[in-house]
Amino acid sequence: MKRFVLRWEAALVGLLVLEFIVFGAINPRFLNPSNLLYGTSDFVHIGIIALPLTLVIISGGIDVSFASLVGLCAIVFGVANFFGVPLPLAIAMALAAGVLAGAFNAAIIHFSRIQPLVVTLGSLYLFGGAATVLSGAVGAGGYEGIGNFPAAFTSFGYLEIFGVPAILILFLMLAALFAVLLHLTRFGRAVYLVGQSPDASRYSGLPVGRVQAATYLLTGLCAAIAGLVLSSYFGSARVDLGTATLLPAITAVVLGGASIYGGQGSLVGTILAVFVIGFLQQGLQMAGVPSQVSSALSGGLLVVVVALRHGSAMLPNLIAAGQKAMTARPRRFVEEKTND
Amino acid sequence: MLELFARNRVATLFVITLLTFGAIGLAAPGFLSASTLATVMANSLVLMLVSFGTMLVIITRNIDVSSGSVLGLSAAVLGLSLNAGIALPLAIGICIGVGALAGAFNGLLVAGFGVPSIVATLGTLGLYRGLMLSLTGGRWIEALPQSIKALAANLGWGGSVLTLIVLGVFLILWLFLRMTRQGGYFFATGDNREAARHLGIPVRSIVFSAFVGAGACAALAGVVFAAQIGFIPNQAGNGIELKAIAANVLGGVSLLGGVGSAVGVFISVIFLTAIDSALVFLRIPAFWNDFIAGAILLTVLVLDGRVRMAVDRRIRAKRYASHHGAERTKSPSRPSATAAPAIPTPHTAPEAGR
Repeated sequence: MKRFVLRWEAALVGLLVLEFIVFGAINPRFLNPSNLLYGTSDFVHIGIIALPLTLVIISGGIDVSFASLVGLCAIVFGVANFFGVPLPLAIAMALAAGVLAGAFNAAIIHFSRIQPLVVTLGSLYLFGGAATVLSGAVGAGGYEGIGNFPAAFTSFGYLEIFGVPAILILFLMLAALFAVLLHLTRFGRAVYLVGQSPDASRYSGLPVGRVQAATYLLTGLCAAIAGLVLSSYFGSARVDLGTATLLPAITAVVLGGASIYGGQGSLVGTILAVFVIGFLQQGLQMAGVPSQVSSALSGGLLVVVVALRHGSAMLPNLIAAGQKAMTARPRRFVEEKTND
Repeated sequence: MLELFARNRVATLFVITLLTFGAIGLAAPGFLSASTLATVMANSLVLMLVSFGTMLVIITRNIDVSSGSVLGLSAAVLGLSLNAGIALPLAIGICIGVGALAGAFNGLLVAGFGVPSIVATLGTLGLYRGLMLSLTGGRWIEALPQSIKALAANLGWGGSVLTLIVLGVFLILWLFLRMTRQGGYFFATGDNREAARHLGIPVRSIVFSAFVGAGACAALAGVVFAAQIGFIPNQAGNGIELKAIAANVLGGVSLLGGVGSAVGVFISVIFLTAIDSALVFLRIPAFWNDFIAGAILLTVLVLDGRVRMAVDRRIRAKRYASHHGAERTKSPSRPSATAAPAIPTPHTAPEAGR
C-alpha cells in the first residue's frame, strides 16, 4: 500500500514537470521564476482549504460548506472592520466565526448521525445565507463587497518576504503544520484509523467523535484564513469569495490520492495536486486558451487521472477474471472498501 | 407516534407542506390562491426534473453532482440547433440525446471504471460546463425562436405543456419504480450491491442506466429552462445539482441507497419552491432565501435523524425486554442466542433500521 501511495505522489510530480515542459515550450514566459512565484497567489487559497479537507476526507467525512464559509468569515471581518473594531480583534473574530461554524457542522453530524455530505450541504446554504444577511445588515446589500480595510491588512495580499509572496509562505507553513499533524502525530494516526473503520476504532478506544469533530473545526479555521487572505488580496470582503473554491479544493484532495471512502490519502499528495491544478489553469491561460476551455480541461484531467488510477487498479482483477474463463466476474473492481 | 413519523416519511412531509402553506396563508392573505399554486408549480419544474434524475442515481447508492452542467450543456445544444434552423422536435431530440450521452459517460466512469461517483461527476461537472462554454464561445444564446417559448405558455388552467410533460415523467417514474421488476432492481442494487449481484441482478447496467436516466432528465430540464427563460445564459443550471440533492434528502431518499420514492421528491420540490415564493409574499428581503432554505433543510434533517435514532433505541429496548422476558420463562441454562430468533420483533420500515 505504501508503495502505491509513493508511486502516486511520484506520478503527480511527473505531471507537474510535464506541465512545466509543455507550457514552457508553448510560452517561454511561463517559466519566468517571478511569474511562477506570483502566479501562485491566484490559487494558494484553494490549497489552504484543501489541507484540512484532506483530513476530513481521510477520516471518512466530507465538507462542502467551506465554499460559503469563506465568504461568511470574510464578511464577519468586513462587518467588524466597518464598526471600527481594531484589526487584530477583527481578524480574531473572523477566525472564531470559522471555528464556530466548523463546530456547528461537527455537532450536527455527531448528534444526528446524518451523512456529512447532507449536513454540510445544508450548512452550505445556511452559511451563505448568513453571510448575505450580514452584509445586507451593514448596507453592503446583495453581492457587493465590504471594503475600506486598513492599509496594513490590504498590503498583506501583496507583501513579499525575501522575494516570495507572503501568502505562499503562509500556505507552505500551514502545509508543514498539517503534514506534521497528519503524518507524525497520534492524532494523525487516529484520523487514518477512523477513516478505515469507525467501528473498529471505537472498539479499540479511539475517541472517534472527537477526532472527526477536530477535522471539521480545522476546516472551519482554514476557511476563515482563506477568507481573510482573499479579502486582503482583493481589497474587499464579498459573500461569494469562496464559491469558486468548492470544486477545485475537493479535486485537489482527490487528485492528491485521498480515497473518498476514507482511510487513504496523504498531505504531500494534496499539496502537489494543488500546484498541478493551479499551474494547469495558469499555463492554459498563458497559452492563450480561453478560460472556459481550461475549466473543461481541468475537469477532464480529474476524470482521466482518476479513471486511469482506478482502471489500473482493476486491471489485475480483470485479467484474473479472464483466466477463470468467464465463470466468475470480478467481485470488486475498486480497491477501496465501500463502508457505511 | 414516533414510528408513524419514521415509517411514513412522505406523509409527514406532505402534512408539513400543507401546514406551511396554511401558516403562510394566514400570515399573508392572498397566498393561498390558484394563481400562486400555478406559479409555484411552474417555478418548480426545472428543479423537479433534475431531482428526479438525481433520485434514480441516489437510489442505486451513487451520487450525481454533474446534473447542473448537463443541463447547461444540453440547453446550449438546444439553443444552438434551434438558432441554426433545426425544427423544434428534432432539436429537443438532439438535446435529450446529448444529455443521455453525458449521463452515459458518467455511467461508464462509475460502472465501467469503478471511479467513485462523487469524484467522477465532480470531474464531469467541470468538463461539461467547459464543453458548453466552448460550444457557445462564452456568449449567451439569445433570440430563441417563438416555437420553444410557446411551450411555457399557459394553457388556460394554470399549467403549460411543460407542466404536462413533467407530470408525465413523474407518473412514468413512479410506475417504473413501484410496479416493474426493473424498478425494483434499482432499489436492490442500492440497498446491497453484492447481494443484488448474487441474485443475478445486472448491477453494473442498472447503475449505468441510472446515470443515463439522470442525464436525460437534466437535458429535459434544460428544455424547460430554455422555454421558460427564453434565453440561455452561461451559468444555466449552475448550483442546481446541490439543490436537487437537498430536495432528494428532504423527500426521504436515503443517500445510503435503496430507499426513496418519486412522490416524496415531488412534494419536497414543491415545498422548497413554495418557501421561495412565500418569502416574496411575506415581504422578506430576497437575501434571506438561502439562510431560510438551509435552516429548514438542517432542521428537518436533524429532527428526522433524532426520530430515527429514537425509533432504533425503542426497537432495541423492546427486543431486549422481550428477550429477557423469554429467558425467564425458559430454562436458565439455555443460551440466549437460541431464544432470540423466536421472539417476534416489531417490523419497521427499512429506513428505520438504518
